[in-house]
Amino acid sequence: MATLNEKKTCSERMENFRRFVWNPETKLFMGRTLINWVWISLYYLAFYVVMTGLFALSIYSLMRTVNPYEPDYQDQLKSPGVTLRPDVYGDRGLQIYYNISENKTWERLVTTLQTFLTAYTPAAQHLNVNCTGDKYFIQDTFDGPNNTKLSCKFTSDMLQNCSGIADPTFGFPEGKPCFIIKMNRIIKFYPGNGTAPRVDCTYVGDESRPLEVDYYPVNGTFNLHYFPYYGKKAQPTYSNPLVAVKFLNITRNVELKIVCKIIGAGITFDNVHDPYEGKVEFKLKIED
Amino acid sequence: MGKEESYELGPRGPAPPKAPKGRGRRKKEQLEDMKKEMDVGLVGAVAAERLLRDGPNELRPPRGTPECVKFGRQLAGGLQCLMWVAAAICLIAYGVQEGQGDRGSADNLYLAIALIAVVVVTGCFGYYQEFKSTNIIASFKNLVPQQATVIREGDKLQINANELVVGDLVEIKGGDRVPADIRIISAQGCKVDNSSLTGESEPQTRSPECTHDSPLETRNIAFFSTMCLEGTATGLVINTGDRTIIGRIASLASGVENEKTPIAIEIEHFVDIIAGLAIFFGATFFVVAMVIGYPFLRAMVFFMAIVVAYVPEGLLATVTVCLSLTAKRLARKNCVVKNLEAVETLGSTSVICSDKTGTLTQNRMTVAHLWFDNQIHTADTTEDQSGQSFDQSSETWTLLSRVVTLCNRAQFKSGQENVPVAKREVIGDASETALLKFAEVTVGTVSEARGRFPKVAELPFNSTNKFQLSVHTAGDRQLLVLKGAPERVLERCSTVMIKGQELPLDAQWREAFEGAYADLGGRGERVLGFCARWLPAGTVAAGTDPEALPEVAVGLCFAGLVAMIDPPRATVPRAVLKCRTAGIRVIMVTGDHPITAKAIAAAVGIISEGSETPEDVAARLRVPLEQVDPRQARARVVTGAELAGMEPGVLEGILRAHPEMVFARTSPQQKLVIVESCQRLGAIVAVTGDGVNDSPALKRADIGVAMGIAGSDAAKNAADMILLDDNFASIVTGVEQGRLIFDNLKKSIAYTLTKNIPELTPYLIYITASVPLPLGCITILFIELCTDIFPSVSLAYERAESDIMHLKPRNPRRDRLVNEPLAAYSYFQIGAIQSFAGFTDYFVAMAQEGWWPLLCLGLRPRWEDTHEQELQDSYGQQWTFEQRRYQQYTCYTVFFISIEMCQIADVLIRKTRRLSLLQQGLFRNHILVIAIVFQVSIGCFLCYCPGMPNIFNFMPIRFQWWFVPMPFGLLILIYDEIRKLGVRRHPGSWWDRELYY
Repeated sequence: MATLNEKKTCSERMENFRRFVWNPETKLFMGRTLINWVWISLYYLAFYVVMTGLFALSIYSLMRTVNPYEPDYQDQLKSPGVTLRPDVYGDRGLQIYYNISENKTWERLVTTLQTFLTAYTPAAQHLNVNCTGDKYFIQDTFDGPNNTKLSCKFTSDMLQNCSGIADPTFGFPEGKPCFIIKMNRIIKFYPGNGTAPRVDCTYVGDESRPLEVDYYPVNGTFNLHYFPYYGKKAQPTYSNPLVAVKFLNITRNVELKIVCKIIGAGITFDNVHDPYEGKVEFKLKIED
Repeated sequence: MGKEESYELGPRGPAPPKAPKGRGRRKKEQLEDMKKEMDVGLVGAVAAERLLRDGPNELRPPRGTPECVKFGRQLAGGLQCLMWVAAAICLIAYGVQEGQGDRGSADNLYLAIALIAVVVVTGCFGYYQEFKSTNIIASFKNLVPQQATVIREGDKLQINANELVVGDLVEIKGGDRVPADIRIISAQGCKVDNSSLTGESEPQTRSPECTHDSPLETRNIAFFSTMCLEGTATGLVINTGDRTIIGRIASLASGVENEKTPIAIEIEHFVDIIAGLAIFFGATFFVVAMVIGYPFLRAMVFFMAIVVAYVPEGLLATVTVCLSLTAKRLARKNCVVKNLEAVETLGSTSVICSDKTGTLTQNRMTVAHLWFDNQIHTADTTEDQSGQSFDQSSETWTLLSRVVTLCNRAQFKSGQENVPVAKREVIGDASETALLKFAEVTVGTVSEARGRFPKVAELPFNSTNKFQLSVHTAGDRQLLVLKGAPERVLERCSTVMIKGQELPLDAQWREAFEGAYADLGGRGERVLGFCARWLPAGTVAAGTDPEALPEVAVGLCFAGLVAMIDPPRATVPRAVLKCRTAGIRVIMVTGDHPITAKAIAAAVGIISEGSETPEDVAARLRVPLEQVDPRQARARVVTGAELAGMEPGVLEGILRAHPEMVFARTSPQQKLVIVESCQRLGAIVAVTGDGVNDSPALKRADIGVAMGIAGSDAAKNAADMILLDDNFASIVTGVEQGRLIFDNLKKSIAYTLTKNIPELTPYLIYITASVPLPLGCITILFIELCTDIFPSVSLAYERAESDIMHLKPRNPRRDRLVNEPLAAYSYFQIGAIQSFAGFTDYFVAMAQEGWWPLLCLGLRPRWEDTHEQELQDSYGQQWTFEQRRYQQYTCYTVFFISIEMCQIADVLIRKTRRLSLLQQGLFRNHILVIAIVFQVSIGCFLCYCPGMPNIFNFMPIRFQWWFVPMPFGLLILIYDEIRKLGVRRHPGSWWDRELYY
């Protein structure tokens, strides 16, 4: 074994490596003759071509079997997530801080809302139909154009005082800001079990102190005729219904923690692992 | 050793206090004083002083490695170092990510902790294993303190032998262990057994005369720890403790460096491969990541993660467990392994240097041949008397057996009637013991025969007469029986008995006798002649002076010759043959005489039938020895004296030229030289031995095998493996197990390495194609350290594919544990199929939950954005971050299950490397079947146990996702069967070279 154990110097190692890369005596390049390298490369090439082919075939047959309208499973989508506009993230979650006297601080927020609501202008919604019934808008057939299903219209004017039409600043300079609550889309999800789910905003932890809120539309409900959602392919023009909340008695210069829950059967807001499921929490601080 | 300068033959230090001496005393008177002192011994105070100066008279145990160093060694092997480096990298990556405020960086911390835990746990395991076998060995040690009879201040005392000092006067008698190196002052028929020191089985006479310059050869020195067999002697202690010959050899052994075991070298080689590949992959993807446009730090973290993902975390545990399983299996077959890695060493052994005495032979003299009726008869020399007996009908045999029975002073110790003859204890010297046992077995109860022929007078053996005679009453006659050195016996004979007829001893019979004597002597046997004569009653009166007896003993009738030898163990010839068929060369290295050594070598097959030594060739061709072509002689006997005169390098030439070698009369250093020469020739050398003189060679060998029963402590300390039953044949078992474990480790490693690729590719695709991460770090740890351990260990139970004992030992330079085809086949073929299986299942799970494959590509930045709570899937549904996270866990689980499913196929294909799975038997390895069931159960548990998602990131996945990877598993099975078919059908072809590992 002695010969195997000999400590090699660095130069010897390099020399050995060089010989490994190209050995002029045996004509071996990295331990193989060149022709051998060609053969082995061809073998691996063939192997990977076949394997990639098999893989492509698997994916192709997968896509053939997948339903184009709705997913096979919705294991992670038991309850919809809830989002807030304007959405400014701080270190820990949403933080909406602004100073009334500094226009710049709230103009950003206002722009966010305005941009967001451009999708809800009558022009943007012109393909959708007006719905009046307060029931689930169940469609078993494809009644829409191009073999689609119909979607109900939601226009920003339904948000009344928070629509940005009457007050393009959404009440931010007055210290009575508007926020827009949106519920995530889940295919064939029937929220509320027949009664329209509504938004309810409170202070976190301190339920006793009343938070004066105006909800738009009235009562802060999501009308049932926006549900169920039939998916992108069936309802290409679908837009989520919104609820706007206007906080009326925000104490200035104090960081407040507010939570807006969506209350309705089938919507859970007590999942400890997901802070955005069925509710949205945010910090609000208005300075002057 | 340089005996001359350091080994002093005499008391040292200040002279003991003597009787007051006046001025002008003459030298002679001083001598007289000293003689007086000889009888008186040392004064207690002086003894105490010298004890203080020289230390106790005991061998300092070889400086044991401190326990913490032993433990540390367990943590510093090749694989361990790799894992330490990986853990360090993980910690650095963790630090970098933490510094960036990256979420999910805790994974790296977990990984580091897991890596360290694996190293420490396996280290503890290995340490425990070593500790346990050391304990087994320690239990052999004789803990009873040895006593010595010493004369001090004129009084005879019994003291502990370790209190002896130089200059002490000690007495020894038969049955004692010599308490120190002593110079004999007076002796009565003292014989010692030096076999553990020199390898001579025959008892050596000790007497006051100095017969040789070398202390090892001279008769007037008895050595520490040898046995005094008979007689008594008084001597002066000349050396104690480590300064004794035994102590010197022991310290020679401790000076020999331990060699790295072949398996350790293999693992280092393998770590080199792994590290090289890891860095190559890491660097490649670092560059790719930089090109794609990741920030430098991020790319660095990718680099580290890839390097770490390449570390086979489970391999260390697998190797350790496989080795210890084999160690356990060997222990059941009476081989105790001190060092786990030694298990495999025996398998790669290509040369066994075996000691003769006690290893190949039984270490007891036994009657081997008889010559009477002008014919050589073979006696039964087996240990259990199971052999064939010779024709006992001749009248001559009756006479010979009577002489053997009567002319013998040895006797059985009482109370052993139920003990088999061969195992009974006997009082008497070795040859007489052999004859006594021989008579007891062949003729019947000796004591009864002696009772029928009461002894009248007797002359014991002495070195001048070289014979022994006794006269017995036999009815109305007297029978004179005589035995001794054959030529002396023949001088006193006038007739010879042939077939019951007394014929005159003419020249023809003398020639026949000479021929038989030379023949038996040439077999290395000790030959004794036997003769007898009937005398009229009263020829010798009771109480006759024994010295007068030789006068009567003339004109005797020659009965026959009896030849004795220390016979080989019954199992040895077959074991040697097995070693030969297994391509292992067995070399005998002994301290005994060349003739005996050669005879035993021939008897056990080390020198095979028909092989000739150069001397034999010279004799056959009638040419001088120098003209003999070495190539004509397969065998060669080399003595220590020849060895000493050899130029360096000559020995290697001889070892190369003659396949069958016997070394005789070798010293411990020469044994060492022989082992080193073999190692220089590239052989992996096993040394077997029992004596102290073997211990340096045992230590130097790649694997030292000591005898458990007969072995000395020094030998056991130096050895890596101990044969509890002293059976050379156990070595063959060891070789077989060692080879099997090498093959099976190869399979285990191939199995373990394969999954490295499906563990790595998700990360590579994650970096390059920016898909949501398909496989998480904790999941990988579960694969490596939980589900796949049992199947990989179960491969250790796989039986051999072919008769491994008919193959040559592996070539340590060529037949590596992990070779290029193994790595390439595992990584780039089977591993690739597994990766495809994993990705197929991943895309299935994603698509069925709403994320189509094309959407997944490039999705990573938005997918991992914690602020994105409404990411749209392919159906327009919106997902919060947490919902996506659980979907990612689902992917982890699905990928995990895919790897598991493919690994089941993988463990099945790894059962064989060449044979078809059907030839090997799919379910014959029950452990493997259980392991697969266990693996699936763990998979189920991890998936479906409540709470898993938030603890270990496993999700309860849809049942059908278990089946997606199965076609790929089937593909693995079929593809490997095709590979094996090609390998079997076209040995040596391109296919065989590239795809057989």
